[in-house]
This record gives sequence, structure tokens and C-alpha cells, in this order.
Amino acid sequence: MKDELAKRLVQGLKQAGIDFVTYLPETRLSQIIPLIRDDPEMTLVAVSNEQEAVTIAAGATLGGKQAAVYMENTGIYVSSYSLLTVGRQLGVPLLLVIGYLGGVPDQRNSFLYATIGKHSIPVLQGMGIDHQIVEDSNNLEGKIKDAVRAANSLRAPYALLFAGEFSV
Amino acid sequence: MIRYECLELLASKITDQLVVTSQSGQRIEWSHLSRHEGNLLVGMMGCAIGVATGLALALPHRKVIALDSDGSVLLSLFNLPTLGNLQPKNLVVYVFDNGVYSGSRISYPTATAGNTDLAAMARGAGIKNTRTIRDLEEFKDGALKALTQNELAFFVCKVEESLMHREIPRPNTDLAENKYTFVRYLERTEEKTIRFVGRG
Repeated sequence: MKDELAKRLVQGLKQAGIDFVTYLPETRLSQIIPLIRDDPEMTLVAVSNEQEAVTIAAGATLGGKQAAVYMENTGIYVSSYSLLTVGRQLGVPLLLVIGYLGGVPDQRNSFLYATIGKHSIPVLQGMGIDHQIVEDSNNLEGKIKDAVRAANSLRAPYALLFAGEFSV
Repeated sequence: MIRYECLELLASKITDQLVVTSQSGQRIEWSHLSRHEGNLLVGMMGCAIGVATGLALALPHRKVIALDSDGSVLLSLFNLPTLGNLQPKNLVVYVFDNGVYSGSRISYPTATAGNTDLAAMARGAGIKNTRTIRDLEEFKDGALKALTQNELAFFVCKVEESLMHREIPRPNTDLAENKYTFVRYLERTEEKTIRFVGRG
């Protein structure tokens, strides 16, 4: 991802009200991490496992933050338990910012990622988590704002899967 | 020492702390002992410490208590290094370690009935103020005092298995009801708006 795109992504998160981000880094969107870390209006929390990325972000949401979880799509599988129990069953809105490896629009797709990518969306659907694939930067800020509004309205996680231009 | 005795002592100390419970008999016992609106009775194993950590980070001026069990902590060991590095000063974790999966009804042993020492694991993960508590006097003198201190604390309370939670009424509030009571309580006491709650 170009640095300019990373800046827009972080600006888009801020404009949508995101002020708390938990993360386990991955390859496609990782340029956003130092930008969030250096922003005094945002709290960045490093975790060891995507499952706790979800539970910590959920706790922050209940405490009044507007939280996002940044993860690779492999993290969907790892965090599925807490996405379902805390996210869906308890009903806590979270924005999931996901590097979408191995999907058709992933410009760095290979045999390493394709199986992971193929099952990501069916797994989200199986949990009743709505999503959008973001392939280009057109109206990026608007898409993020819409996703946060949807998460808050649904009282549930909402996933943005970044590929295409974001995976170059 | 049984868990219920510890929870009775803890309940007497609750004022405006936020209390997050895991899923186990303690959830039933705590809801019986405490009607505090700042209780969040998370109904799943392996999630309480994470949710409590998020609350502690979001509200650093507010004391947050996590009530957990050995089975639940073993399911979410990744919380330990995260806590060891974050060191939220306003978080106190009580792990009631009875050495069995009591909810399974056959009480098969957890790893802590064998060679596993959760306090040693927490210490190794970077949580400095961690201690194993073995009797009620120690619980009073050591574990409860942490509520007035400004330091992350992690107590592994070795308790005998007790079936008290099967003799008392189960909580009749559902998860959503409890969540909204909790966030409305936070809105009132923090004088702030929790962004997602119902404004139609």
C-alpha cells in the first residue's frame, strides 16, 4: 500500500470517530500502525492474539471508545469465538479493519494465501457479520464512516476487507 | 477456602468499581451477592480479562476488577503477556482456581491440578504484582488491599471446589439487559455518552 493511502485510511478512521485500535500486524496495511501510534488522539494496543484484540476492543467500546480491530483475515478464524460471543451475542459494535489476503482481488495472492482467502467471507457470513470489500480508494473515507455507522446501528462487528489497491 | 467466601468479602468492598465476570459458577455467585449496576456478567469463558482490560484502558481513572477461573484463563493465556506489557494500573484480576472444570459436572482436572502454576506464568509474562492466595486471611490482607492501590494486580486464589452456585438462584437478567444497565450506569457516573447505545 502506498504511504499516501495509509494516511488516508488513518484519516478515514479518525473522521469516522475511531479513537481506539487493537492490532496484530500483517503485511498489507501495516503502514497504518506507526501513523496511529503517533497520533495523540488515538490509542493503539498491541495484542498477542486476535481473540483478545476483539475482547479488549469490546471492553473499550463499552467504556465509551469507538474501537476498531486491525488484523489479517487469518485473524477472523482465530477470533471467531470472541467475535461471536462478545461481538454478536453480547452485541458490541466494532469496526474490523482486515487485510484480505488470498481473496480474488488480492494483488499478492498465491498458494500460500488462497485457501485462507477463499473461506474468509463465508466464515464472516456464518457468524452473521456484515462486510464490504474495499478494492480502491474512491470514497474511502465515506466507506469507513458508513461501516462504523452500520456497526453502531447493528450493535455488532462490521468488517471492511482491504484488497486491490491496498494489497499492492 | 471456597470462592463464595472470597466473593462475599469482595462484595463488601464494592463502591464504584467496574466488575467483569467470566462464565463459571462465580458468575452466578457474584450476581447473587452483588446487585451493583457496574457488574458486567460476561457469559463466556476466556473473555472476561480482555473485556476488563479494554474497560481499564478506556477509563484509566476507574478501578476495574476481573473475576475469572483457572479453566477460563487457560483458554486465554494470550492475555498474560498483553497485560504484562500494558500494565494497566487500575486493573485487578482475581482468578479463582479450583483445579477442575466444575461446570462440566464431572469435575475433571484442569492443568493447574497438575504441574501448571498460573501465578508463575503471569509473573513470567511480565505481571510483577502477582501472588497465589491460599486462605481467607491472605485474601483479606493481600488480595483485597489491591483495590486501594494503583498497580496492576493478578491474584490466583486457590479454592476448594464448591457447588454453592447450584444451590442459589441463577441471574435472570439476559446479556443485553445487563450490558445496557452497565453502560447506562457508566454514562451516569462518568457523565459521558456511550456512543452506540439506543438513541432512536
